[in-house]
Amino acid sequence: MQTRIFDKFNLFVFISAFGLIAIGLVAIYSATYGNELVSANFTKQLVSACIGIVIVLAIMYMPAKYISMTAYLFYALALIMLVAVLVIGKKIKGQTSWFNIAGFGIQPSEFAKVATVLALAFFVSNRNKEADITKPRGFFTAVGICLAPVALIMLQPDMGTALVFMFLILPVLYWAGMPNYILFFIIAPIITAVCAFLGTWYFVSAIIFVILILVILKRNILVSGIVLSIAITAGFSVNMVYNKLQPYQQKRIMSMFNPESDPLGAGYNVIQSKIAIGSGGLTGKGFLMGTQTQLKYIPEQWTDFIFCMVGEEFGFIGSIIVVILFLVLIWQTIHIAYLCKNHFLSICCIGFATILSFHILINLGMIMGIMPVIGIPLPFMSYGVSFLLSNLIMLGIILNAYRNRKEYV
Amino acid sequence: MELNKRKNLYYLFTFAICFVIAFRLVQLQLINPERFDRESEKNSVKTIITTPARGLIFDRNNKLLVDNKPSYSVVITKKEFDTNTIPLVSALVNIAPDELRSTLNYIEGTNRFIPTRIIRDVDFRVISFIEENRELISGVDYTIEPIRLYPTDFKASHIIGYSKEISKSMLQKQEGDYYRQGDLFGTTGLEAGYENYLRGEKGYEFILQDSKGREVGPLNEGKNDVQSVSGYDLILSIDADVQTYAEKLLQERKGAIVAMDPSNGEIICLVSKPDYDLNYFSGKLSPQVWTALNTNPDKPLFNRATQTRYPPGSTFKMVSALASLQEGIMKPNSTIVCEGSFRFGDKVFKDHGAYGSIGFVTSVEHSVNVFYYKLVLKIGFDNWTKYGRMIGFGEKTGIDIPEETKGLLPSPEYFNKVYGPKGWTQGYVVSLGIGQGELGVSPLQMAEYTSILANSGTFVQPHLVKFLKNPNSGELIPVSYKKRELEIEKEYFKIIQKGMYLVVNGNGTARSIRNPDVKIAGKTGTAQNPHGRDHSWFIAFAPYDDPKIAICVMVENAGFGAAVAAPIAQRIILRYLLGQIDDSEIIEVKGNFPD
Repeated sequence: MQTRIFDKFNLFVFISAFGLIAIGLVAIYSATYGNELVSANFTKQLVSACIGIVIVLAIMYMPAKYISMTAYLFYALALIMLVAVLVIGKKIKGQTSWFNIAGFGIQPSEFAKVATVLALAFFVSNRNKEADITKPRGFFTAVGICLAPVALIMLQPDMGTALVFMFLILPVLYWAGMPNYILFFIIAPIITAVCAFLGTWYFVSAIIFVILILVILKRNILVSGIVLSIAITAGFSVNMVYNKLQPYQQKRIMSMFNPESDPLGAGYNVIQSKIAIGSGGLTGKGFLMGTQTQLKYIPEQWTDFIFCMVGEEFGFIGSIIVVILFLVLIWQTIHIAYLCKNHFLSICCIGFATILSFHILINLGMIMGIMPVIGIPLPFMSYGVSFLLSNLIMLGIILNAYRNRKEYV
Repeated sequence: MELNKRKNLYYLFTFAICFVIAFRLVQLQLINPERFDRESEKNSVKTIITTPARGLIFDRNNKLLVDNKPSYSVVITKKEFDTNTIPLVSALVNIAPDELRSTLNYIEGTNRFIPTRIIRDVDFRVISFIEENRELISGVDYTIEPIRLYPTDFKASHIIGYSKEISKSMLQKQEGDYYRQGDLFGTTGLEAGYENYLRGEKGYEFILQDSKGREVGPLNEGKNDVQSVSGYDLILSIDADVQTYAEKLLQERKGAIVAMDPSNGEIICLVSKPDYDLNYFSGKLSPQVWTALNTNPDKPLFNRATQTRYPPGSTFKMVSALASLQEGIMKPNSTIVCEGSFRFGDKVFKDHGAYGSIGFVTSVEHSVNVFYYKLVLKIGFDNWTKYGRMIGFGEKTGIDIPEETKGLLPSPEYFNKVYGPKGWTQGYVVSLGIGQGELGVSPLQMAEYTSILANSGTFVQPHLVKFLKNPNSGELIPVSYKKRELEIEKEYFKIIQKGMYLVVNGNGTARSIRNPDVKIAGKTGTAQNPHGRDHSWFIAFAPYDDPKIAICVMVENAGFGAAVAAPIAQRIILRYLLGQIDDSEIIEVKGNFPD
């Protein structure tokens, strides 16, 4: 009996996700403790999590084809909402990314993440000719599905969220069967551009690397030449574009990579969050005892900087538990994607795993000063009703994929 | 199956991400955590902003005109400030409690950790109170900041201009994030035109302090600190002595004087009267003074030299003359019969005498109206507008202060728009021919026009600043300005110059200012004023053979150009070229001058 339940229900995924939510709630409670203006955030997050359980179970027990059939519909709805938010949305801190419906702030870009993965998965899991991603037509349509929301989100403007969509493309298409050499053709210019930005020697080594791989791949000499020249052009143009920017824009980019160069702006939070996490030590200072976080040196620490609370008050032990829970969650999601016979759900799982991994890497990396300062929240833990609900919808679909993993349709 | 291989790649990435994060956690939390513990004990970083002194301003002879002096500003760090002390603090700095509260409300985000200026230029009494009562009013502090000092009796308020605290809308509109609440921002004159050079760059010091607000030491050994950079000094083309003399000559009259070097556009003096005292703006501007300046009916803040729009009267006649010659409608020796009045339709345009058949030189010398009524109809409205625009009317001259009007140069299109295609007649054009009607020009444009007449057809962009001076290296950086040649033959200017010479040295309308030492060429003008007494214009250049100065004097409600404006222009020319000073009062010559 017991084995039959777990045959249909992946406990690892469920427990790790709700474990993260629980730790997140504790941290939000601590972060907003004694701050009348935002202490309601804890209650809002708790209520959302409870509603979320219902949503997760509902999606999990839904027939798989309901999800695939509505993929385009949700995608269209998401695009409409992204357009609408630009027109009637509320402007908060220079970004127009919020609707206000009956006192609840709704952030369409969060739901667009789920909808885009669904639409992309539905498109590439089609077995007809138009959707063959090894052909230009199918490939560019797939890329277009990802980039349409990016364009709208850039207008808000919200660079962090837009990046999430862009990073979605390659892992999903690669899982869907894109050949190795195409993957390499796409990442070669990206690698050279980033390396060129870092310095001349990085640029030179990147070009040598690209040439080596091209030799190994042994593709047509003309194609290889084109790839190499595009990569080199990308490397040169990134610095040209950078030099054309206004000094204040350059400063903003530099402070993204080196936050300490701007201790007043972007760097301020990073300096403070590193101190907070570092001062937690092995066991932490205890619940509600963090000096950094309780003295509110970090603005809005219940959103993007929620991990500081964990780091300072629960120390290395608390932090590593969070990392392990994330690892279990992502690893299981990839495993489900592999097991799942339904091509559509398999690709969905990879899409969600990519989104979650990207968030985790950028958010935790930024807080600990090893990643550029890009403001995106930490899945399941950061405060934010829209964000939490969109994470839980992903969770529901992942669990659904596990339940239906032996079905082909 | 291939997916099996690919799956491992995804696992690898996931483990790599988690490994990097775990590694970083070990680095931060397990290796050497005491370091961060100490940092978190002295847990706040206090940012001190150092405001650089604004650049100094010198005249063409390196005479210091604008300097700086230290003053005290009160600042509040919102993070440390206790709102219960608002009544005490507001009484101390003499700001209404509500106003202080709303200022504090505006401080958000990381600005809460940085001292924000609440009021500048306070008494030493306030500073000593803060020093003695630090425990009582936590978060309140003071900084020493430079404010403007005007060390000489040199005024030139409209040239120098003033700075004000940056407005909230400007703060939001700024590119980047340089300016903060309470910062000074050049608002008018050179202070505004050269704001980006004068202001310098602010410096930042980061100091760690403990939970009781005591300073523990610099953050990161001061490596993050940013030195402030002083602003560039300005070396003006203004001659301070001539400027002061010119201001004195206008006395209590309303009007403006602009004198410039016709060879390069350097402005020698630029006066607008009535003016105001820049010292009002150097510390904290009192609202009473600000209201008084703004409601004064004489508008002292208004720059009459660059922003007025009056018809130029007869001074404008030479535009039609040049147009007719260049277009080949008239020959240099052509003549027009002038009967003493001109009938156009059912309207009679008067003149001050009948001159018979005369040429260009005589028409300028005696300012013969009928000559120009007929001439403007010969050349046509389109040509009149074309040459007016070529000389620079109806356009900004591009002077390096922001206050400037384009003026108004009517064109057929303009009249069609305002009156409708059938709503105006050639009679309007006849008025424009003698510089009356809707034509509007500024004294600066007239000085530019005079320069063009003096240098035979080169537009030189008028400017006040010759060099920017790097205060550290002393390097002088010349500021570049535009020059363009007009499409008018040089020989035609000789005819006009001859006529203007005779205005003063012949039997012309300004013969009263003739001088044996300097040959002055000029032209009088009167702007008809429907609201009161006419405005008086005089433009001149000297010496006639090799012009070194071109000048325009405009005096409001002073009647004929020769009466007041011409003697003032003459004295400035003599002062500039020969150093002569004539302190006798200018007596307005009564009488009916032909103009």
